[in-house]
Amino acid sequence: MLRFTLRRLALIPLLLWGIVTIAFFLSRSVSSNPLVTIVGERNLGNPDVVAAATRRWGLDKSLPEQYWVYLSNLVHGDLGTSFRTKSPVLDDLGARLPATLELAFTALVIAVVLGTLGGVVAARNKGRAADGVLRVAALAGSSLPVFWVGLIFLFVFYATLGIAPSPGRLSARVIPPPDVTGFYTVDSLLAGDWPLFTDAFAHLLMPAFIMSLALLGTVIRLVRSQMLEEQGADYVRTARAKGMARGQVLNRHVLKNAITPVVTLIGVSVGLLIMGAVLIETIFSWNGIGTYAVESSRGLDFPAITGVCLVGGVLFLLGNLLTDIAYATIDPRVRLS
Amino acid sequence: MSTARPKARHRRRTAVRAGVVVLAATALAACSSTGPATTDRTGIIIGRAMDVNSLDISRSLCDTCQIYNSAVYETVVRATPDGELEPLLAESWEANEDSTQFTFTLDPDAVFADGSPVEAKDVAWSWLRVQNLQGLPSYFMQGITGVEATDDRTVVVTSAAPNSAFLNITSASYMGVVNSDLAAENGATADADAASTDTAEQWFLENSAGSGQYVLDSYSEGSEIVLSANDSYWGEEPNFSSVTIKEVTDASAQLQQLQQGDIDLAMQISFDALDQIEGDSSLTTDVVPSYNFLYLALSPGVAGGEALQDVRVRDAIRMGIDYDSVIDATLAGNGERQSTGIPNGFEGSDDLPIPDFDPEGAKALLAEAGYPDGLTLDATYPTFSAYGVSSNTEMQSIQQSLAQIGVTLNLAPVDFSTWGEQIDSTGYPVTAIYFAPDHPDTVQYFQYFSLIDGSVWAGRARMPVNPEENSLVAAALAQSGDERTATYTELGQLMYDDAIILPIVNPKYILASSAELEGNNYDITRNLDLTRLTFAD
Repeated sequence: MLRFTLRRLALIPLLLWGIVTIAFFLSRSVSSNPLVTIVGERNLGNPDVVAAATRRWGLDKSLPEQYWVYLSNLVHGDLGTSFRTKSPVLDDLGARLPATLELAFTALVIAVVLGTLGGVVAARNKGRAADGVLRVAALAGSSLPVFWVGLIFLFVFYATLGIAPSPGRLSARVIPPPDVTGFYTVDSLLAGDWPLFTDAFAHLLMPAFIMSLALLGTVIRLVRSQMLEEQGADYVRTARAKGMARGQVLNRHVLKNAITPVVTLIGVSVGLLIMGAVLIETIFSWNGIGTYAVESSRGLDFPAITGVCLVGGVLFLLGNLLTDIAYATIDPRVRLS
Repeated sequence: MSTARPKARHRRRTAVRAGVVVLAATALAACSSTGPATTDRTGIIIGRAMDVNSLDISRSLCDTCQIYNSAVYETVVRATPDGELEPLLAESWEANEDSTQFTFTLDPDAVFADGSPVEAKDVAWSWLRVQNLQGLPSYFMQGITGVEATDDRTVVVTSAAPNSAFLNITSASYMGVVNSDLAAENGATADADAASTDTAEQWFLENSAGSGQYVLDSYSEGSEIVLSANDSYWGEEPNFSSVTIKEVTDASAQLQQLQQGDIDLAMQISFDALDQIEGDSSLTTDVVPSYNFLYLALSPGVAGGEALQDVRVRDAIRMGIDYDSVIDATLAGNGERQSTGIPNGFEGSDDLPIPDFDPEGAKALLAEAGYPDGLTLDATYPTFSAYGVSSNTEMQSIQQSLAQIGVTLNLAPVDFSTWGEQIDSTGYPVTAIYFAPDHPDTVQYFQYFSLIDGSVWAGRARMPVNPEENSLVAAALAQSGDERTATYTELGQLMYDDAIILPIVNPKYILASSAELEGNNYDITRNLDLTRLTFAD
C-alpha cells in the first residue's frame, strides 16, 4: 500500500500542472474584459488609468509570457494577487478554505451518521411505514434544490419563528475566537470558550444539515439497498442457522459489508461538497471558498480563478487517494496496485 | 453463549445512548445560544452589499469606499447636506480671482490616529499620490499642475486652467489626507512613477493612516469591515465605540436581519418591503431623494446606430419611453424623472425640461425622420441591480414602451465583463447603465456625459465634440455663484438637446434602521455620514 500511495502522490504535481494549465487558458479564452473589475465601468474610457492598470496587473504581456510568469511564481508558492480583493490569492484561500471545510466536514458527518442510521432502519423495516417515510425523505433530500430549502428554512426558522440563529458563522456582535485552525467550533473549544462554541455550532447546524441533504438521501438509499442485498447472502443464513440473533447479524456482519460502497461515495463527495458549497454559502452568508469562486469568476479575476481550480484539484485528488486507501483497509480483498 | 456478550452489547447501547444525549445536549445548548463574549452595544452594525475595490483611499472608488474613507480619513473641507463647504482639516481656504490657485490653511489641532500632527506636507503628498497612482479617483486631479506645502500649515494648489470646481472636489472622500510618513514606511509613494512603484495597497487592507473618528480594526473581504473609535481623535468624540459594515448581499436578507436585530441599519432595502418596515414599531424608515440615476445611452456613431444620427430619432426614443410605467415596474413608483445627465438637486438642474411620454409626438418625429414604419435597434446592457433597480426589468419595460411607437429593441443582457470588452471598442448602439456622484460639483457630469474633449460618452457615442459645450465648461470653471449656476443650466440644456444620455429614473432611497438609531441619512460625499448617526438615549 505504501508503494501505491507514494506513486499516486508523485503523480499529483503532474495532474495539478494539467489543471492549472487548463484553468489558465480557459479563463483567458472568454471574450470579456477583466479591466471592468479592476478599473470599473467609469474608468474604462480613461486611457491613463487603463494603461496603468494593464501594466500593473501584467495584462500587457503576451499570453505565453503571462503563463510563464504564473508558473514561475507558482513554483515558489506564489499564486498571484487577486484583481478583485487585492490580496495574495494564497492568503484569500487560506482565509476562506477553513470556513468551507468546517461546513463540508459537518455536512459529511451528518450525512454519513444519519444516512447510515436511516438506511439500517429502512432495511430492518422493509415494507413498513418507517421504510416508506425514509425512502420518501431520501428522495426529497436528493431532489430538492438546496437554495430553495435554504431559503425556506431561513424564512421559517430564523425570520418567522426566530429559533434559528442569523446567517453567518457567528451571531452579531460576537467576537470570533483566536485563529488557530480557522474552524470556529474547534478554535472556540481550544480557547476554552463554551458559549462561543455553542454559538458557532448553532450557526453551523442549519447550513450543514441542508448541505448534507443530497448526500444524506443517497447514503440512506445506498445503505438500505446494500443491507437488503447482503441479507440474502449465504453467510447471513449460516450465521442465523448457528443461532446468532438477527440484530447481531445485521449490525456485525451485514452493515460492515454494506458500508463499503459508502466509503467510495464519501471520497467522491468531499470534493463535490466543497466545490458545490456556493449556494449554501451565499444564502447563509458563509464567507467560504464557494462564494470566492463565484465572485472571482464573475469578475474574471484570473489569478483567483486559477487558484480556486488548483485547490479544488488538490481536494479531489486527495479525496480519491484517501478513498482508495480506506477501501483497501475496510475490505482486505481489495488489493491496491 | 457467554455472559460477556450481553454486557458488551449493553455497554455499546449505553455508549450510543450517551452519544445521542451529548449530541442532543450540544445542539440544544447551541440553539439556546447563551452569552458568548460580545462587542459593546455602543457599536453599530450596518448591513449592505459591499462593493469595495480597495481600502487604499487613493485607489478606491465605490459607495462602500465613501463610507470607509470618510470614517477613517478626513478631507480639508466637508460638504454639508445643503451643499455648502465647511472646515474640517482646513480652518480656512481661498481661491484666487480666476480660480487657478487655491490656498488651504490647516487647523493646528488636527492630528492623525498615531498622534502625529496633520501637516501641509501630508495634504500635498496625499493629493499628488491620487494623481500619480493613476488609480480610479485620479481624474479628481485632472488639470492640477502643482501641489505645494509652503509651510507646515499651508498648502497651495495650482491649476493649469480655471477650476472653480476644485474646492467641491476636495470634499470628496477620496481626497482624504493620509499620514504620509506612516504610509511611506509601508511602501506608499507619491512620486511621479507611483503607478509602477507604489506597493502599499495590501498594507492598506490591514491598516489605516488617517485622522478620522475611526481606525481600521479588521477587514475580511466578503464578510465585514470593522472600525474602532480613534482614541486620539482631535475633534468631537465619535458616537460609536465601533462600526461594523457587514456584507449582506440580498435586500430580503437585510430586512430579515434588521427585523431580528442582527444589524442596526440596512442600506439596500427593497421598496417591496417598505410596507412591512413601516408596520414594524421596532424599526424606523424614511424615503428620501438620491443623486443616483439610471440612464439609456444612445451611440449614433457605432455600427447599428446609424438611424440614431438623426437627432429626431433620438428625441422620438426619449418621448417614446413611458417613464411612469418603468418607474412603477422597477421601483414601485419610488423614483423621479430626470432631465439629462445632471441629477435632480445638483447645481444647474432646476430649470431643465423633464421628459414626458408622448407616443403620438414620437411617432410623428420618426415619420419626419424617414421612419414611418418604425425601426429596430440592438440594446446590449450589463445585468445588474443598482439602487433597487434590476436592469432586466428596466429594459423590458422600456422595450414595451418603445414597441408602441414602432421601435423594436432587441435586448441582449450580458455580464459586466463582457459588456466592458466592447463598450469602448466597437460600442453598442443602445445600452443602459447607472451613475452615482463622486463629489458635489456638477462639472463631473459634463466631464462624463457631455460632448466635450475627453468626455467618456462623447467617445463611446462616437459623437463629434461640440465647441459650444467645450467653451461653456471652460467658462463655468472660471465663474462662481449664480453666474456659474446659469452656465451649468445652459450646458444641461445642450446635453438635453444632444439626446445621447436619456435618464430613465432617479431612484429614491430608503433609510431603514432600528428605532433606537437616530440620524440615518444619505450623504453626497460620504454615502452614510456616521457623524450624524447616534443611538437614542
